[in-house]
Amino acid sequence: MKAEALIFICPLILVGVILYYLPLITRPGIYFGATVDPGFPPSGEGRRLLRAYRWQLGLWMVAAIVATAFFAPEHPLLGSIPPLFALLAAVSFAYWRNFREVHKHYGVSRPDVRQASLSPAAPPASFRPGFLLLPFLALLLTALYLHLHWNEIPQRFPVHWLANGQPNRWATRDWHGVYSPLLMGAAINFFLLGLAWMLARLSRNTVMRYVTVRVLEVLVYPLTLTFVVIGLLPLTKFNPLAPLLCVVAGMLLAIAGVLYWSYRKISAARETDVSPEPQADTYWKAGLFYYNPGDPAIFVAKRTGIGYTFNFAHKVVWLVLAGILIAAFLPVLLLK
Amino acid sequence: MASNVTLRIELDSAVPAYRQIVDGLRILLVNGQLAPGSELPSVRRMALDLGVHFNTVAEAYRTLADEGWLELRQGRGATVVKREAPAAGSEQVEDLRRRLQALTAEMLAKGVPAAKLRSLMRAAAEEL
Repeated sequence: MKAEALIFICPLILVGVILYYLPLITRPGIYFGATVDPGFPPSGEGRRLLRAYRWQLGLWMVAAIVATAFFAPEHPLLGSIPPLFALLAAVSFAYWRNFREVHKHYGVSRPDVRQASLSPAAPPASFRPGFLLLPFLALLLTALYLHLHWNEIPQRFPVHWLANGQPNRWATRDWHGVYSPLLMGAAINFFLLGLAWMLARLSRNTVMRYVTVRVLEVLVYPLTLTFVVIGLLPLTKFNPLAPLLCVVAGMLLAIAGVLYWSYRKISAARETDVSPEPQADTYWKAGLFYYNPGDPAIFVAKRTGIGYTFNFAHKVVWLVLAGILIAAFLPVLLLK
Repeated sequence: MASNVTLRIELDSAVPAYRQIVDGLRILLVNGQLAPGSELPSVRRMALDLGVHFNTVAEAYRTLADEGWLELRQGRGATVVKREAPAAGSEQVEDLRRRLQALTAEMLAKGVPAAKLRSLMRAAAEEL
């Protein structure tokens, strides 16, 4: 196995660890996306189903790692993406089989109770323009700084480095080469804040929503810092490895801090949250996908995992998905 | 203000969501938990939180506005207004008596003891 393969295998292992614990990251009384008695998951049958799921995950993980190690060093995209997708598809299938079995043989029904706070002062996940304009201002100021120091930028400068620190891709001193990282940062910021804005308006008033919107808003700051540092790299006269490592470390610290804050907030509020999401299993296809035409909410808190999923019964969801795809590919198009 | 007041409905109940919203809000209005001047969430917000169609909430708000409890504001929500209780006509009293009788019969049929029924009715009247 070549050493470069490790770069592709590490994310795969991270995905595997998340999938391993995924069935347990859920509300009490939900197991593989189906409503059960809270005593079922630790029972013998509950543990048997979890073991079966994890065995299948393990087998597919080994296959995906072998395929990645074999093909990714020569063909980075073709050698890493298909094994990851194959793993996700196979594990989703295993999850769906367990959902079907749990729902059919051990599922229970609970009253579909909903509550709405009648207080207009209920904790909102508000959109604060002042706080959110700062990252865009930082990108704009960086662009202005680059413009003022245009002549100090080399005609040709590195934009991509190998693991050993050697540059392997270059850009030229034109508006595209100099400003692309900043434009990419602005596009990603727009996407994240757009998502936060939609979430604040098209989902139920829960602590999960408050936390998710705040996380999206706050993550824009370390992301902006990353793009500002990358944008200023053409002006640096020294090896860029140190500032890049600092940015990566800062990003990881920020993400860890945000995750810790989210965990504390969600744990503290679990008992008092006034707006539970729909209870009936019939709304959850394969225990993963929410489909309820009678529910005006576009975003619904996931049953398994953290965060939100779409209500796939609404046409607007497909437009949002198309928007996400465009936003995902926009940076690639900008770099071309 | 309607601070910490919540409305609760059961979507799989035999009682339609519209009726549950009207009944639930009316209880809060009669017992004073929603005082005059309180603002209710917008139709859109309430529908999202309850997981029901916008028209269901709009219709419930209109019904309570017709009864004189709410003042509706275009696109924003509703405000609780001061309301003088109208004198109930004999036909209305008779209609309500029949509904109460039907509810009582249903409770007895489901096995609620008569003594428990009496205490529940007394408690409900005193609460309101």
